[in-house]
Amino acid sequence: MKTLTIVLTDGPYISEYAETAYKLAEAALQEYKVNIFLYLDAVHIPKKGQDPSFFTNAGQLFSGLTVKGVIIRACARCAAARGYLPEEEIIQGSNCRDYFPGIQITSLYELSEMLSESDRVISLSR
Amino acid sequence: MKSVFYLLDTVPYGNEKAFGALNAAAVSLSRIDVTLGLYGDGVYLVIAGQDSRKLGLPNLADILYAYGELRVLVHEPSVVERGLFGETFIETLELVDEEDFFEVMESSDCVISF
Repeated sequence: MKTLTIVLTDGPYISEYAETAYKLAEAALQEYKVNIFLYLDAVHIPKKGQDPSFFTNAGQLFSGLTVKGVIIRACARCAAARGYLPEEEIIQGSNCRDYFPGIQITSLYELSEMLSESDRVISLSR
Repeated sequence: MKSVFYLLDTVPYGNEKAFGALNAAAVSLSRIDVTLGLYGDGVYLVIAGQDSRKLGLPNLADILYAYGELRVLVHEPSVVERGLFGETFIETLELVDEEDFFEVMESSDCVISF
């Protein structure tokens, strides 16, 4: 099976990229193994407790993707800069208590691993 | 993917994008061919003699220079448009015209923009 990696740098709601990535990932799952790497402000996307009122909860959308097999990882440096810290214990597929289940904080080196193993890469950034 | 083109078109300071692009490019070097393309305001990154101490930030041009194995393409028209042609640049870069810049970009397996 081919692999698709989506790289995001925007936080949720400031643009449509999180929702676009969700739709792309869900559609691609039929033919691709899908990775999503959250970089810079995109590490805010999986935060628990979002209440976006008029928008779809981006964290819930992404957590739902992990249930379907999408691998979602967040850059450790970017996460730490924004107050999200990884822990040793993995609970419900996540190593961050502030994140939705299934989404983990990881080293930036995992981005290069994802890129090198991918057949397609989509970058969504402003 | 065997090659990646990181595209940076924003200034080096005042936001995290240049630092983020540099870090992503650096960690990718061990696995794939990496090119950092500087376009628009991104070309300010290669001006030598930057002093970022008052900003409390690392000198990003020095960091870029330290990664000598990283291919850095600088879009020459962007340099000219900003009146930077008389400036001294760090040494590890290629100044290229628009055609060459986009040719390398298109020939890369993927483009990640910042």
